[in-house]
Amino acid sequence: MEALLLFIGSVLVNNFVLARFLGICPFLGVSKKVETAFSMGIATTFVMTLSGVASWLIQNYILVPFGAERFLQYVAFILVIASLVQLVEMVIQKTSPALYQALGIFLPLITTNCAILGLALLIAIKQYSFIESIAFSFGAGAGFTLAITMMAGIREELQFADVPKPLQGAAITLIIAGLMSMAFMGFSGLIPM
Amino acid sequence: MRREYIRMVVVLMIISLFSGAVLAQTYKVTIPKINENALRKQEAAIIKVIPGAKSFKEVSKDGVTAFEGLDENGNKVGMAFIAKSGGFGGIITMMVGVDMEEKKLAGMTVLSHLETPGLGARIQEDWFQEQFKGKSFDDGFVVKEDVDAITGATISSTAVAKGVKDSLEKFLQVFGGEY
Amino acid sequence: MKIWKDFIKGLWEENPTFRLLIGMCPVLAVTNAAINGVAMGLATLFVLVCSSTIISLIKNLIPSKVRIPCYIVVIATFVTIADLVLAAYFPDIHAVLGLFVPLIVVNCLILGRAEAFASKNTVTRSFFDALGMGLGFTWALTFLSIIREVLGMGSIFGFRVLGEWFTPFLIFVLPPGAFITLGIIVGLMNTFTRKTA
Repeated sequence: MEALLLFIGSVLVNNFVLARFLGICPFLGVSKKVETAFSMGIATTFVMTLSGVASWLIQNYILVPFGAERFLQYVAFILVIASLVQLVEMVIQKTSPALYQALGIFLPLITTNCAILGLALLIAIKQYSFIESIAFSFGAGAGFTLAITMMAGIREELQFADVPKPLQGAAITLIIAGLMSMAFMGFSGLIPM
Repeated sequence: MRREYIRMVVVLMIISLFSGAVLAQTYKVTIPKINENALRKQEAAIIKVIPGAKSFKEVSKDGVTAFEGLDENGNKVGMAFIAKSGGFGGIITMMVGVDMEEKKLAGMTVLSHLETPGLGARIQEDWFQEQFKGKSFDDGFVVKEDVDAITGATISSTAVAKGVKDSLEKFLQVFGGEY
Repeated sequence: MKIWKDFIKGLWEENPTFRLLIGMCPVLAVTNAAINGVAMGLATLFVLVCSSTIISLIKNLIPSKVRIPCYIVVIATFVTIADLVLAAYFPDIHAVLGLFVPLIVVNCLILGRAEAFASKNTVTRSFFDALGMGLGFTWALTFLSIIREVLGMGSIFGFRVLGEWFTPFLIFVLPPGAFITLGIIVGLMNTFTRKTA
């Protein structure tokens, strides 16, 4: 039950992109087409869930027992994420070329998606249990996918709209994100966090 | 191919070792100051929530930690404890001071929080914190009845009130019998 | 005059925030008050200058296949240093910036400069490039956070500048305000540059 609430909370109430400002770069950069945006979301969710689990294990079984969590945490987490992304890329390439075609180009970008490091750090700060960490990671990824896919949907429609020239591109995208974020604020209070 | 592979691993390892060494050193230099900051913050909070306190002593019983406020002659003038609660953005920690003789709260101050600036973050404002002062131990701490909520930040307000109430109960179970 | 050019481009022409739109997460997240914007800008500037210089210095030793992990380790090291120093000497600012200090590690601006500039150019040029980009980032954050604080709280650096008649638009210090303010500034900058160009 706790885990379910945590999942819904991280999708809607504390959406990583719209309320926590994590993962803005891909949100602005890869949201031109629904299809690619959705693939990016899925790839990110996949890496997020894995790295959420991996960083939980590292935090609780390596860093804390050795008393190094205060000064080696960032280096350790980012190295884990970078190697994990590399690993996922290799596995997908070997096992499913079709999936690799679809996700491949996004994978290297995911390393520098701050949502992933942010997730690892949040799990450590909030001292979630193992199950909670999985729910939180998966929810964060789902929230990211939701936000980026919705944004891509709006931007596809926007091609037919008459946007003032200076606002075209990044500017209008940011303003739309603002409106979406406002709409998502309506979810606050849905769940007592 | 093999040699290249070994070189890659060696370079990455050297850089990581170097980084670890530099960080361990920085940590050693800064940690006394960081701990001192935390201690000073705690002391300031305890002095704020226990009227008349000039210093404090940490006491621990049955796994519950509390603080005794001492005046300039070292006499006990009240007690304080840390309360934690899940707010809107993250965990809220508070320092709560109690007057054991009058059986009421002597004060409350928020130590740290991750609430929204302008809304939930207003739990740090004096008017909100002051209303806990003088509340009796058996007050309900119900928001909008016993405690005024911050407009637009009911969750944060409730979290504070609930945190104070729950921690007070835990504290009294252990330390309540002393008087 | 190459060095001057390396330095100056980050301030306006290739301003990371308003022109290149990279490193956006901290831009949006911490700019709800002017002091936070300045602090975040300076912390990023420190990490950017240090890591660009070091990476440029060791660029020939790093095998190209593991360059990204190597860069990230260098960057993460400086971020941890900044984090510890802030916690020790500026605890108030550290408490406010919270999660966003560690996230300097994945600020695409820093890795981007390492990959696009420091790994190809001399130490001196990399230093000035990083300095320019860092200052460009800092002024952008400061500018944005001042606008948001004035509109959202009626104050600058915590001092009330607008009188009692002013009812703050709270929305500007909340997440939606961040997106909308930045969107409008980017739009205005586009208009302005188009006219001068």
